[in-house]
Amino acid sequence: MASRNVNRKRKIPLEVEEIEGSLENFVQNGAADIGSDNEDDELAFLKKGGLLDARQSDDEDGGSEDDHQKEDEDEDEEEEDESEYDSDDYSGEDEAEEEDIDSDEIPSDDEGSTAVTKEMKNASIKVTEGEEEIAHYSDLDEDLPPGTRVVMDSTGNPRYLYPEIVPNYDSDDTDAGKEENAIGNIPLSTYNLFPHIGYNINGNKIMRPAAGKALDELLDSIELPKGWTGLVDKNTGKELKLSDEELRIVSQIQRGRVADELEEKDLEYAPTVAWFSSKTEIMPLSSAPEPKRRFVPSKHEAKRVMKIVRAIREGRIVPNKPQEDTKPKYFDIWADEAPARIDKMALPAPKLPPPTHAESYHPPLEYLPTPEEAEKWKDQDLEERDRDYLPKNYNSLRVVPGYDRFVKERFERCLDLYLAPRVRRKKLNIDPNSLLPKLPSPRDLRPFPTTCSTVYKGHKGRVRTLGVDPRGQWLATGGDDGTVRIWEILTGREIWRVKIGTGQESGGEAVNVLKWRPGREGGILAAAAGEDIYLLVPPVFDAATEIQGRELLAAGWGYAAILSENGVSRKEPPAKWTKPTDRQAEQGVGAIVTVGMPVKQMSWHRRGDYFVTVSPEGTNKSVLIHQLSKHHTQPPFRKSKGLIQAALFHPFKPHLLVATQRYIRIYDLSAQKQIRTLLPGSRWISSFDIHPGGDNLLVGSYDKRLLWHDLDLSSKPYKTMRYHEKAIRSVAYHQGTGMPLFASASDDGTIQVFHGRVVADLMENAVIVPLKVLKGHTVTAGLGVLDVEWHGRECWMFSAGADGTARMWN
Amino acid sequence: MAKIKKKGTSGAAKNYLTRTQAVKKLQISLANFRRLCIFKGIYPREPRNRKKVSKSATHSTVFYYARDIQYLLHEPVLQKFRDHKIFAKKLKRHIGRGDYSSAKRLQALHEPQLSLDHIIKERYPTFTDALRDLDDALSMLHTFANLPSFNGIPPDTIAECERLCHEWQHYIMRTQLLRKSFLSIKGIYYQAEVNGQDVLWLVPYKFAQNAPVDVDYRIMRTFVDFYQVLLGFVMFRLYTMEGLVYPPKFDVLADSKGAGLRAFSLETKGVKLLEYEGTTNGTAAAIEGKDVSKQLKTLSEKIATISTTDTEEITTTILTTTTAEDVPATELEFDPFPTALSAGDDLRQPDITSSSTTGIFSNCTFFLSRETPRSPLEFLLRSFGCRRIGWDAVLGDGFFTDNEKDPNITHQVVDRPPQQGPGGEVEVVRGGRPQYVWDCVNGGNLLRPDGYGPGEVLPPHLSPWVKRGWGYDPTAPLPEDEEEEEEENVEEENEEEENEEGEKNKDEDEEMIDGVKSEEKKATATAESEEDESGYQGMTIDTANTDEEGEEEESEEESEEESESEAKPAKDGKSKPKPTFPVVEEDEDDLSDTELAARQHQAEIEAEALGKPAPAPKTRKGKKTAAESKREREEAEEKEMAKIMMPRKKRKLYEKMVYGNKKREAEVKELQDKRRKIEKEKKGGKVARRMKV
Repeated sequence: MASRNVNRKRKIPLEVEEIEGSLENFVQNGAADIGSDNEDDELAFLKKGGLLDARQSDDEDGGSEDDHQKEDEDEDEEEEDESEYDSDDYSGEDEAEEEDIDSDEIPSDDEGSTAVTKEMKNASIKVTEGEEEIAHYSDLDEDLPPGTRVVMDSTGNPRYLYPEIVPNYDSDDTDAGKEENAIGNIPLSTYNLFPHIGYNINGNKIMRPAAGKALDELLDSIELPKGWTGLVDKNTGKELKLSDEELRIVSQIQRGRVADELEEKDLEYAPTVAWFSSKTEIMPLSSAPEPKRRFVPSKHEAKRVMKIVRAIREGRIVPNKPQEDTKPKYFDIWADEAPARIDKMALPAPKLPPPTHAESYHPPLEYLPTPEEAEKWKDQDLEERDRDYLPKNYNSLRVVPGYDRFVKERFERCLDLYLAPRVRRKKLNIDPNSLLPKLPSPRDLRPFPTTCSTVYKGHKGRVRTLGVDPRGQWLATGGDDGTVRIWEILTGREIWRVKIGTGQESGGEAVNVLKWRPGREGGILAAAAGEDIYLLVPPVFDAATEIQGRELLAAGWGYAAILSENGVSRKEPPAKWTKPTDRQAEQGVGAIVTVGMPVKQMSWHRRGDYFVTVSPEGTNKSVLIHQLSKHHTQPPFRKSKGLIQAALFHPFKPHLLVATQRYIRIYDLSAQKQIRTLLPGSRWISSFDIHPGGDNLLVGSYDKRLLWHDLDLSSKPYKTMRYHEKAIRSVAYHQGTGMPLFASASDDGTIQVFHGRVVADLMENAVIVPLKVLKGHTVTAGLGVLDVEWHGRECWMFSAGADGTARMWN
Repeated sequence: MAKIKKKGTSGAAKNYLTRTQAVKKLQISLANFRRLCIFKGIYPREPRNRKKVSKSATHSTVFYYARDIQYLLHEPVLQKFRDHKIFAKKLKRHIGRGDYSSAKRLQALHEPQLSLDHIIKERYPTFTDALRDLDDALSMLHTFANLPSFNGIPPDTIAECERLCHEWQHYIMRTQLLRKSFLSIKGIYYQAEVNGQDVLWLVPYKFAQNAPVDVDYRIMRTFVDFYQVLLGFVMFRLYTMEGLVYPPKFDVLADSKGAGLRAFSLETKGVKLLEYEGTTNGTAAAIEGKDVSKQLKTLSEKIATISTTDTEEITTTILTTTTAEDVPATELEFDPFPTALSAGDDLRQPDITSSSTTGIFSNCTFFLSRETPRSPLEFLLRSFGCRRIGWDAVLGDGFFTDNEKDPNITHQVVDRPPQQGPGGEVEVVRGGRPQYVWDCVNGGNLLRPDGYGPGEVLPPHLSPWVKRGWGYDPTAPLPEDEEEEEEENVEEENEEEENEEGEKNKDEDEEMIDGVKSEEKKATATAESEEDESGYQGMTIDTANTDEEGEEEESEEESEEESESEAKPAKDGKSKPKPTFPVVEEDEDDLSDTELAARQHQAEIEAEALGKPAPAPKTRKGKKTAAESKREREEAEEKEMAKIMMPRKKRKLYEKMVYGNKKREAEVKELQDKRRKIEKEKKGGKVARRMKV
């Protein structure tokens, strides 16, 4: 046990020497101070103690061969092997001597010299075990190089064993230029008496540093300074102190740890040496000769080959024998079938339909195609044919030939199975009539116009517009010929006529729009031809009414002059009110209003004092509000928002509804602001009408749509209907009470009459029921029915057609 | 605000891959992708919205379901394809070096073998699933079995197909599962009911098949490879369930002598069954030699020990060497193999519940004349219980007798023009032409062979799959005159109402006949909705419940018709009747049995629907009053106007449906017109002949 302790402790300086050059120096220097030659003895001892690593011992073997040792070379090798692994053999033998070493420490200054040398002497005794004489320490000459040992040879003469030169870099001191003191291995004590401690490389003296004062020495002796070694630095002559780093290493060693753990950063950046790389080195890494086995065929392999050969010969192995699959080809694959998982995305291929009678080899005769049909079938493309075979009749099974497209059809089925995209389609297996909405029967919604009762013929060219007078007696129509005609409703007789436009045939103006002034008094008809609006008093009523009408028209003549005098309006008035000529007055014209642009649409306020005209090209003056009583005209908008199609007064609120191509805007005239915008969603609004209840709006558009807007619901249409084949020209609500009817007239020559009941209850939507398609007008030059208007009280409807007629329907 | 989603990262855009994308993802060639798709049953899909799936997709872009392709990534077959590619490289190298022996060795030992077993299990998790998909497999294998071997198709594939087809026929014959069959111009259709699944397959006539050049046989072979495995597994299961050994033994010698189906011998587990029953002088029996005679001996001994009710029957049975296979359902109490049954529990008893029509030929002895097709007739007769079939020796081996004059023969099947004997006497045939057998099978009973004799004009051969009661029925008589037409119109409209109400049935079947083919061509596959078996009855019940409604609609229908006829003046002066059903009052003397039966059925249905015999409203006869016609016109107009209030989508659907119905009606009308014309000509011909006489 003790010996093991020794070994451990003894290990310390050795490892230091190996790893840390500076410490080795220190040890060497220490030894030099005490006795420079002892160090190697110690080393040798340790080596023999088996504590050196293999490399060092190898060096030992290679280098220091003595005569007598050569004789026992083999023996030594074995010994060495043993020593490497089992150091106890030696230690056991020399326990007595080594026990002293146990307490050995790094030698102190005072007693070190004697103690260590004594031990060294013992050690040397051990080393040369088996030799007759052992040189004594005292016999060693000072002149001999350090580490030299003296042994007694067989003749009794001393024999000097010089230390082996370790062929490492440390052994070479040629580059020791940086060492200041160039005295070599001479002990420093030699210069004790001199003021210098040695010479540098240039031969100049290195002066001894000044000695410390007595007090300092005293203090030093009381308290040892950190890193104190008690040695003198050879180079400087000062005390040799251990640096912090060195102290750390020493303490590491003392604690039995690895002397100098590489720090992480060292590891990280440790240079890699690619000893074994792809690059072929010129010099071999190992100089070991190629072993013999590399040149001699393997006996083991031969053995194994022979084994196989024997097996083949005996038939145990059959070469190139196809592997037999032990698994049966078919087995019960559904032995443990689980209930099928339902995959929603799986679309099983549809089965082919079973054959029909027509496919029979002997079908009923009616299935056989006629020669024309057969010819047609043959001329058709494969894709066009409704069946892929031509039915044929054979009287006997014996004469049925092979089907020539059999393989082809199978192939097509294959293609369908793997190539045809599959999609899940729902087939609706219902009566198509069940898809029709359940609507009340029109018979229950009578009365509504069903037939054409009167045709008003007389206009040359299209009848563009018409209107029924508020009393319900007369129908006024205006057309391309520039005339306004008044007809007796029931008889269809033309009563009165006035030509206000030049007529479109002669390149002039047509009567684009006419409207009766609401209210029973006056009997005033406003008709627009080109840029002029004629306010007419047709002499069809009684005299009192006519006079009343003329008075109404004449009442405002002073106002315009007064206004301009007062300077209220400095600007150019948007419209000019002029008195008719005498001839015109005779014909019934009460006043003429001239606006800048052709008027296309017109509408009266319910009280009959105001009317609004729309001339789409008039930009900011396209909408004009005219006041009858003051003969005053004003444009309500400063700026136009798009091409204006139509404008209407709200039936009872002070609102003005203006339709542009796509939107309908509602303005509050009293507050002078826009209230809301409706988005019918059609491309081009042709006309619109407002329900007498004021909450519903009917919009017709040139893109064939009829839109019902419920103003309470949303700005989007409540119902969109597309049934006309061509553009809708005009839409109209029946304004009378108890007649929930409306109609739309289209260029396809038809008028569609609807029942459209609006319920006061807010929870209920309007009920729309189509009632009747009225056909009668002929389509002329792509135009059908141009205008439609309801009678005020009766369920009579009037329509103006492009065929030059107006019709009444009841 | 929610995070803005990037386009194309979810939903339809993620769910579908184009074919190019799929091929790239799987890193295989297009040909291999195709094979993989065929094996795995992966098909392209039509996304609901192509634009949402891919902006750049054209109308011809094919989309696959992304998850299908994802699953393919781990497919063992895919790895096998890669292995094979490597193998091919090696082989090529050997051949390139001229090292043929090692190339041979490589091919023999190291060629990767494709196994499709796992795919079968995966595609058909249950046995029923597999049976459901058997239609195409059987038709395909029968096609290949009849193809000539050439470059594209190796002979062993054809032989294998033939073997599988024979095995299938054996199974069907043994279990008597065949239900219907039909002689078409394309081939012979058969329908069997296996495990409750209807399996319909088509067998071409035995001719050298025309192998067109514009067919890619590689695709067909891939299908055949898969179908062979599928049918093998299905058959293994079927045979095992039947207590038989699969595969049955195949006798090469017998096959070479033209034994056909008889070249196979079925074995039960444990005891070998006698397969060559009914062959008294066939060489096949001789081949079996001693074994058979031994077994016969032991059998007769055993049977002798068993006390049975009818000894006579036993002896005849032994004489004809019947096997359990051929015992019809009605003779179940006699069992010639009690030991086998007691030994092996796995031998299933014949199914008593199976259709009663399966044994219609059980008491007959047939003789097939040499001009008749032997194999389909033999298959059909045996499947319907016939035990003793003789045929001319020219047709091959394995006959019961080859003597045409054998007194045992009850039915002869001939297909030759009437022969005159040496003395000028007309040959008498006890039986009929081949169609007789088919008509018996489809009719479900043994018909009288009158009218099927040689030289006679055969009755038309009708498809057993066309359902009666809608569309054109060639068996129903035509309306005789105009007055009756009116009457029938009413009735038939009644029917139409019924049909429309139960339209599931109608739509489906008509689609099957008329529409699907075109749909197939369009390469879109519609998922089948389940067939409503009781559709017809269901709809009659409906009408019974809503009688008034029916009447109302009826009048609507009529009015619609009226308006149509008014809109376009009738082309041929008289209004033509629509599909008709027999009028009850018609005299029934002239009608054939089947027609009578059909009428009976029809009358029953009507009576059921109305709760009383359908009365023909006499008031409707004659011209309609002006007021009536006006009212009807109004109603038609009303319907037209109601369309205004429909949303556009719905309106289109409605119009499509109306169009479809009209088209079907037009087809029926056309057929009726033709038939009327033919009948008129016939009458005229008869009269003319009489005049001549």
